[in-house]
Amino acid sequence: MTDHLLLTALVVLAIVSVMAADLILSVLGLAAASAVLSIVIFRMGAPMAAVFELSVCAGLISALFVSVTGLIQPSRRQDVREHLRKKLARFWLLPLFAAGTGVIVFLISAYLPSYLPAGAPAEDVRAVLWEHRRLDMVGQVIILLAGVFGITVILKEKAE
Amino acid sequence: MNGYILLPLAAALVVNLPVPGVRRAAWHTALIAACVQGIVAAAMLADRMRGVVLRGFPDGLSSVMLLTAGLVFVAGLLTARACVSESNRQSLLGSLALLGLAGINGIVLATDLFTMYVYLEAAAVVFFVFIAFDRDSGGLEASFKYLLLSGVATVFLLTGIGILLLATGSTSFDGVSAAVSAGGRDRNIVLLAAACIVCGLLVKAGLMPFHGWLPDAYSAAPSWASVLLAGIVTKTAGIYTLVRVSVAIFGAEKMAAEVFLVVGIVSVVAAAVAALGQRNLKRMLAYSSISQVGYIVLGLAAGTPLGIAGAIVHIFNHAVFKSLLFVNAAALEHQAGTCDIPSLAGRGRQMPVTGATSVLAVLSAAGIPPLGGFWSKLLIVMALWSAGWHALAVVAVGASVLTLGYLLVFNRQVFFAVPKEPPPAMAETGADILVPALILAAVVVGVGLVFPLLPESFLLTLTEHAP
Repeated sequence: MTDHLLLTALVVLAIVSVMAADLILSVLGLAAASAVLSIVIFRMGAPMAAVFELSVCAGLISALFVSVTGLIQPSRRQDVREHLRKKLARFWLLPLFAAGTGVIVFLISAYLPSYLPAGAPAEDVRAVLWEHRRLDMVGQVIILLAGVFGITVILKEKAE
Repeated sequence: MNGYILLPLAAALVVNLPVPGVRRAAWHTALIAACVQGIVAAAMLADRMRGVVLRGFPDGLSSVMLLTAGLVFVAGLLTARACVSESNRQSLLGSLALLGLAGINGIVLATDLFTMYVYLEAAAVVFFVFIAFDRDSGGLEASFKYLLLSGVATVFLLTGIGILLLATGSTSFDGVSAAVSAGGRDRNIVLLAAACIVCGLLVKAGLMPFHGWLPDAYSAAPSWASVLLAGIVTKTAGIYTLVRVSVAIFGAEKMAAEVFLVVGIVSVVAAAVAALGQRNLKRMLAYSSISQVGYIVLGLAAGTPLGIAGAIVHIFNHAVFKSLLFVNAAALEHQAGTCDIPSLAGRGRQMPVTGATSVLAVLSAAGIPPLGGFWSKLLIVMALWSAGWHALAVVAVGASVLTLGYLLVFNRQVFFAVPKEPPPAMAETGADILVPALILAAVVVGVGLVFPLLPESFLLTLTEHAP
């Protein structure tokens, strides 16, 4: 049940990040989707891959946030509606495609374990983070702080 | 060893504590951190040369990079002080510089491919902001371009790391190296991973034909940021990592050496030709950087300890003389308000110290004895010759003459030409820019004079991991 909820949330967040007219909302959707994906990967017994996903996400999101805040102007409500309308017209097949993929995966899920390699014994994610990938965690702190300072530099200038 | 990463990070956190007046110390803290790093790294390098090897401490190559990072950050921060006048922005700059220093040190000290990737991203985020720091349209566009091409590099790097993880079960340098040398794996899979990683790093290094972002970034960024970008960022993110990955993991791979030879010689020649036609000083220096980085790749491609030593020494020398040229570009831009070479014609006559240090940097870049650049280029050319690449060695020497040509034309036009009409009055720049220029000029001369006196153990220290 939990896995189904997580996978549904993953699909919804991915659709939000593609469809959102507001770029900041889109970046936030991507960040949330990546966090959910990390949890899914961890639950599949691959804590190292989950940590890698989190690390990549931290860098990507910080970079996108800095560039988005630097490049965009706030949109008017009317523009946002118009943009969303155009996107819905262009991507109307996307929810159908996502739902169809979900149905296919559900139908073949009974046969998947025989094709997929057995997962490694699950390690505590804390052990992976703080014993094996400690230096990566420090790097992620640097990335996030740099993102915060970067946005401060750009937004302060905007305010001026 | 992790102190190089943790201390600047801790300093960045401390100077942003909600205590009145603490944030004003950010720039000073960053300067002190860079100075201390340079001194400690130089001491460690000296220890290594004397044969003192402490477990867990950086090796010779890492020590050179840490020393270079310290020196370039000192020059960049001093230059920034002259260019960024508002104290609040100086504080933000100082905090970001501390994070940038921690990121660069993380790249240098990483012993794992994925950790290296995380710190590449950390440094890249800081420099996206530095390029766009003035928030002018050119800076934002260049930053966005850097972001996009950095994204491409990331895709290549992660693909390569992922393939290696699948093929060898590890991402640590030692683990991957042991698995690759043990053989038994599909050689083509390892080659595919190597190709992906090398492509990603070549984009980061801005070598031809992956150089699209570099001239825009160097010329549109504030001059103090160009000092850091040219001095240490591309050297660490693209070239040091290339040396480290090649030497530690794919050392004996002949195909990699041939690819490096082609990329290196194309960059040396084509970028030097492109530099000839530039009107903007910083853009010309950007192309010159691509050309000089090509020499470093040629040294690496030679594949011998001599070539790798030459490449490492040229990383240091290029960082110093190119930082000096960008500091002088900052001085000219600060005083004249432009980097357009024809508009600067003759105006540099009023800036004798800037002119003199510029001449030293130009001569070192062209490999004129006895300055620092001469020795590293000599090592690279000797390595190419002894590896049997005679034609490439001759072309490398010829490109050096080309370098001397375009840089001397710029120097003559800006600092020594007598203008037809008297130029607008322009004074020598202030101490904030002159001090880093004089420090770097002293290093250019000092390295040149001291290098032939260094014991053989110095070169052995640099190449302890060479195949």
